Amino acid sequence: MATLHLRNIEKTYESGPQVIKGINLDVADGEFMVFVGPSGCGKSTLLRMIAGLEDITGGDLLIDGKRANDVQPSERGIAMVFQSYALYPHMSVGENMGFALKLAGKPKAEVDVAVGRAAEILQITHLLDRKPKALSGGQRQRVAIGRAIVRKPKVFLFDEPLSNLDAALRVQMRIELSKLHEELGTTMIYVTHDQVEAMTLGTRIAVFNHGVIEQVGRPLDLYQEPANQFVGGFLGSPKMNFIQCAVTERRADSIALKVGCASGFELPRSVAADAGSALTLGVRPEHLELTRAGDGIAARVDLLEHLGDSTIVYAAIDGADQIVTIKTQGGRTALRAGEAIGLRPQAGACHLFRPDGRAIAAQA
Amino acid sequence: MSVTSSDSPAASELAVSPPRRRRKLQAWEWAPYLFISPFFILFLVFGLFPLLFSMWLAFQTWDPSTGLQGMEWVGIENFKFVLEDDWFQKSLYNTFWIAIVSGLPQHLVAIPLAYFAHTYLRKHRNTVVGVYFLPFITSTVAIALVWNSLFSRDYGVINMALTSIGNLSIAGMHPLAWLFPTSNVDWAQPQYTKWMISSLVFWRYVGWNTVLYLSALQTIPRDLYEAATIDGATSRQQFWHITVPLLRPMMFFAVTLTIIGNLQLFEEPFIITGGTGGINQAGKTAAMHMYNTAFVDSDFGTASAVAWILFLIIGLMTWANNKFFAQKD
Ligand SMILES: Nc1ncnc2c1ncn2[C@@H]1O[C@H](COP(=O)(O)OP(=O)(O)O)[C@@H](O)[C@H]1O
Ligand SMILES: [Mg+2]
Repeated sequence: MATLHLRNIEKTYESGPQVIKGINLDVADGEFMVFVGPSGCGKSTLLRMIAGLEDITGGDLLIDGKRANDVQPSERGIAMVFQSYALYPHMSVGENMGFALKLAGKPKAEVDVAVGRAAEILQITHLLDRKPKALSGGQRQRVAIGRAIVRKPKVFLFDEPLSNLDAALRVQMRIELSKLHEELGTTMIYVTHDQVEAMTLGTRIAVFNHGVIEQVGRPLDLYQEPANQFVGGFLGSPKMNFIQCAVTERRADSIALKVGCASGFELPRSVAADAGSALTLGVRPEHLELTRAGDGIAARVDLLEHLGDSTIVYAAIDGADQIVTIKTQGGRTALRAGEAIGLRPQAGACHLFRPDGRAIAAQA
Repeated sequence: MSVTSSDSPAASELAVSPPRRRRKLQAWEWAPYLFISPFFILFLVFGLFPLLFSMWLAFQTWDPSTGLQGMEWVGIENFKFVLEDDWFQKSLYNTFWIAIVSGLPQHLVAIPLAYFAHTYLRKHRNTVVGVYFLPFITSTVAIALVWNSLFSRDYGVINMALTSIGNLSIAGMHPLAWLFPTSNVDWAQPQYTKWMISSLVFWRYVGWNTVLYLSALQTIPRDLYEAATIDGATSRQQFWHITVPLLRPMMFFAVTLTIIGNLQLFEEPFIITGGTGGINQAGKTAAMHMYNTAFVDSDFGTASAVAWILFLIIGLMTWANNKFFAQKD
């Protein structure tokens, strides 16, 4: 059980630019914290700094309140599950899982008990004598997690552990990881570039971009109230639509916008933006309603994707050189490509972003 | 069009009733064999024929100057003679002695050296390894000449260095004189010959083995070391628990090459001893013995028998090595 505090953590590789640019983050005891962000944004680097595999070039890392910058990786009380699993190929599953305890000089009986218990939790008891090369991807994944469990760490670190699995197995392992967290109650930090994993696994999510945290919060809070355009666009699939618009009129408790050729679209909230200023309207595909042509924002159907339970409509807005995505419930529509339609964003679910990307908070 | 397609009526008729007259071979039918033939011709002339001929010769007594008529079947006499021959036994002893004394350190040095280069050298790794590799691609003759002058009795650097340590005087005493020589050593004496050859062979091939081990090290994923670090393994433990087991296949390969190469050792002892094998045959290897039997004594039958016995020994050692390094799973 452990808390984790990152204070202005920075990383500059010897041969390169700054990769982590001052991260501040507190992870509570027993929390499942997910680092999510596009690839190359520095998630793994930060995780490896927590693990002690990379030097921290600036700031402080506190584990359980104690500064751990210069503590050996094996003494930080962490265990890490690698994307490649990193199982020792010449050792059996049991030896892999017991390696840390063996190195620590624990008696064989004690190692066997610990390995046996972890194997039971993960249901890999029957695999203990096999070599890693005789295991399937999912089994290797379990062994890697088992190796981490055996060490009884204060913090689990996962670096994209599911990305080498096929889609079906990924979903299954995702569920099992959630259960494992419930069962063990240990603090976990989980790195992924997959926003679905982030949304489903995390107690809280930290969205990374270019070495900084864009926003931290509970999954649904981030989804519903993105602090900026990047977070809005990163979470959710299909992506949030961003439509250029201009403020035509500002009233006490609402604002009128010009979107594409259509002016007079009203958002019922007070916004600190002057008439004439350019903003970005963010609407999720499921919050765009299809209406008759002539009603709302004029657009034309470009392409349809039928997913069975829903249909994704790609439409071009008249007067703005832009394609938007609309998600409608129901597998069948009478729509045809080329057809003229109208779009009506659900006013309550719209986001407004300033030109610099920051969200304009809805004021009560 | 000269190519008939098989689904034409004419072709299917042909298939039913075999053609009476032999068809003329077309260029595209014989040309591939022509193009591939140089290899087979060369292999037959310089590979397979000498192999079979030497096997045949091993059961004959033959001095080539007497022509092919001079060949005489003697059965296994040659083998019996060779196995009872003191000189052969001595050369075999020399061969194994040099093979072990030069071969074992090659690997004991190359593995840590490769590990060091892999782990600690970043920018200059290739330069350093390249320098170690250099002797491997240098002509044996040049190397052996340099070795001879290094070990020269009156002008050699080795003697100069050793005697200056031996004669080191601190307050009028010579504290190292009991360990180091105080006057020039004659390295041509038989008790030194094998050491001299072994040191040369070691020096020459340690770089080659380093390159082999380095390439194997580079295939070990870095993740494994990181996982071991987190598991609490010190760098020494990582070397023993990760590096060494994963180098096993390459050890098998490299040791096999060393066994084969060292048991056939010829050039280095030949040049260092001026082709004689040195005083008392102290530096004569089995391959040199074979050479001398054939080209000095003109006894090709016996030489062939030596060759085949050597071949069997090499095969046996390689098999034993395979047993030793075989994966246990
Ligand atoms: N050893 C290294 N030396 C220099 N740059 C590195 C090194 N490792 C990673 N980087 C750089 O750091 C950035 C972040 O990498 P990483 O943390 O692996 O991203 P992520 O895990 O988010 O995909 C990348 O731009 C990468 O090129
Ligand atoms: Mg990564």
